[in-house]
Amino acid sequence: MSPVLSAEDLTLGYGAEPVVRDLCLEVGDGDFTVIVGPNGCGKSTLLKALGRVNKPMSGRVLLRGRDVRGQRAKAVARQLALLPQSPVAPEGITVRALAARGRFPHHTLVRQWSPQDETAIRSALELTGLAGLADTQVGSLSGGQRQRAWVAMVLAQDTGILLLDEPTTYLDIAHQYDLLELFADLHRQGRTVVAVLHDLAQAARFATRLVLMDRGRVVADGPPEQVVTARMVEEVFGLACDVVPDPRTRTPLVIPHERAPSRPR
Amino acid sequence: MTRTTPSSPKAAPRTRAGEPPGRAAASSPPVLRLGPVALPVHPRSLLWAAVLLLFLAAAAAATLSTGDLGVPLTRLPAVVAGAGEATETFVLERLRGPRLTVAVGTGAALGLAGALFQSVTRNPLGSPDVIGLGAGAGAGAAFAALVLPGVVPVPLGALAGAALAMVVVATATGTGLRHPGRLIVAGIGVAAMAQAFTHFVVSVMARDQASILSAYVNGSLGARSWEHALTIWAVLILVLPLVAALAGPVTVNEMGDELADALGARAAPTRTAAVAVSVVLSAAAVSVAGPIAFVSLTAPQIARRLSTAPGPNLALSALVGALLLVAADLVVQQSPVGDGLPVGIFTMAFGGVYLGYLLVREWRRGVL
Repeated sequence: MSPVLSAEDLTLGYGAEPVVRDLCLEVGDGDFTVIVGPNGCGKSTLLKALGRVNKPMSGRVLLRGRDVRGQRAKAVARQLALLPQSPVAPEGITVRALAARGRFPHHTLVRQWSPQDETAIRSALELTGLAGLADTQVGSLSGGQRQRAWVAMVLAQDTGILLLDEPTTYLDIAHQYDLLELFADLHRQGRTVVAVLHDLAQAARFATRLVLMDRGRVVADGPPEQVVTARMVEEVFGLACDVVPDPRTRTPLVIPHERAPSRPR
Repeated sequence: MTRTTPSSPKAAPRTRAGEPPGRAAASSPPVLRLGPVALPVHPRSLLWAAVLLLFLAAAAAATLSTGDLGVPLTRLPAVVAGAGEATETFVLERLRGPRLTVAVGTGAALGLAGALFQSVTRNPLGSPDVIGLGAGAGAGAAFAALVLPGVVPVPLGALAGAALAMVVVATATGTGLRHPGRLIVAGIGVAAMAQAFTHFVVSVMARDQASILSAYVNGSLGARSWEHALTIWAVLILVLPLVAALAGPVTVNEMGDELADALGARAAPTRTAAVAVSVVLSAAAVSVAGPIAFVSLTAPQIARRLSTAPGPNLALSALVGALLLVAADLVVQQSPVGDGLPVGIFTMAFGGVYLGYLLVREWRRGVL
C-alpha cells in the first residue's frame, strides 16, 4: 500500500540537541498507527511535525507524495487533522460551535458557510454521540464528554487522516476505552489514524501497527505482537516484565516484574 | 485488525442524565447570502448591534443639541444644508461636529484594538490600555508635538511610542504576551515610565499649560478639528480589510497555537498581525484624542456579555467602544464641572473600578 503520510530523514527540535534525529516513517492508507515510547522520546514532536505544526530542522514530511511545507496551511488542514494535547476551549462556547470551528480550513474570506459545513458538523456530533448536547456549553461537560467534543471538532474538519496526541490522558479507564473504541470505529470506516498513546496494552489492542520510539529514533515498527516483547520493553523502558497474550484479544499485555521492596530505585 | 471484542454497552456514547434524548438540537445558524458571499450570522449579536446603533444615534443627537450652544434637533437639517445662523453653523462645523466624529471613530478604534488584543493574548486583561500601549502612544505624541513640532507628524510619534511600549512590554515579561500576570506588571511599569516621560516633555516644553499635559496623559476630546476626524477615520477605513481578514484566524487562535496551526490558521503570523493592527489603531486613537483609558478594556467585554457569542466579537466591540466614548463625552460636556474636564479622567474613574473588579476576579480564578 502506498503511504499517505511519510517522514523522510526528519530531524526535529531546537538548537544543538534535536529531539528527533534522521527519522523515517511511512503511514499506510487506512492504518491505525500507534506511536509509543518513554517520556521525552519525541513522539509528540513527531506527531506535530506530521501535522505541519512543527517545522523540521531538516528532512521533510510528505502528504500523498507532496511536501507539507510547500503547500498552503489550509490545503493541508483539509486532508489531515491534528488534535493536540491541551487545546483551549473558548469561554462560553457550545459543543456545536466548537465542532463548527473545525470547518475553518474549508472557509474563505467571503464564504464562511456551506451546506457541507452543516453535514460535516452534524455527522461529527452524531459519531461522537454529542448530538443531544449540541447546545450545551463545553465548560459544563464532564472530562470524557469534553474530549469527545474536541474529537467532534477534528471530525468536522472532514479529513481522511486523523492525528491524535495522547487523546485519552486524564480520562478514567472507562472513558479511555470508550474513546479508543470510537477511534477504532472511525478507522474501520476508512480513516487513517495515527495516535500517540502511553498505555502499551491499549496501544497493542487497538493498533494495526505499532511504532516504538526511543530517544528520537524508531526502534521497532510492525504488528503489535512483534513490537511489544519482554526484551523490547526492558530495553526501551528499563522495565523487567513478562509479555502475555491479552485473554480477550490475544494482543500483547505487559506484566511488570515485582521489585524487591528494599532495593532503591 | 487486532480488535476482536464487539463493542460493549460501556462503549456506547454517554449523554448527560436527564438530557432529552430526542433533542438533536444541532440547529444551524442563519446565514447571510449575497452572490458568492455566505457568512453565518449570530442573531443575538445582530440585534444588539441594531440597539447599540440606535443608542449611538441618540447620544450623537444629544451631543449636538443639548446645552447652551446646542443646535435643536429640528434645526439640524437646515444647519447641515447651510441655512443655519452663524452661531449654529459654528457649533456644528467647528465645535461639536468634529468632536462627535472624532469620538465615534476613536471609540470604535479603541474597541477594536481591545477586542483583537484580548483575543490573541487569550486574556481579558491583555488590553492595550492596561499594558501601557496608550501611555506609550501619549508619550510619543507629546514628543512629536512639543519637541519636534513640524518634523514628525503627531500620529507617527504616537505610533512609534505605542510600538516601543509594545516591544518593551513583550521583552520585559520574558515570555512574550503569554503570561497574564507578567503582562500586567510589565504594563504598569511601562505606563509609569511613559507618563513620567510625558510629564517631563510637557513641563520642559510647555510650562504651565495644564490642559496640554492633560491631553497627553489622560486623553481629551476638547477642541477637535476635522483634521483629527480625518486621521482617525482614514486609519479605521484602511485597517478594516485587514481586520476582516484577521477575524477568522483570530477566532481559531483562541483554541491554542497548536490547534490553530493544525487548522491552517497560522498562529504566530496571525498574532503578530493582530497585535500590529491593534497598535496602529491605539496609536491613531491616541494621536487624535490622547490616551483615553479603559475603553479598550471594557468595550470588548461588554460586547461579549451582550452577544454571549465566543470569539472576539469585533464589530460589536467597535460599536460599544463608540457608544461608550460618545456617552462619556456627552456627560463631560454637560456636567456641572464644565467642558474643561478631559473625557479621559471620566473614563478612568469608571474603568478603574472595572479593572479592579477584573483583577480580583482573575486573581481568584488563579489566572494571575
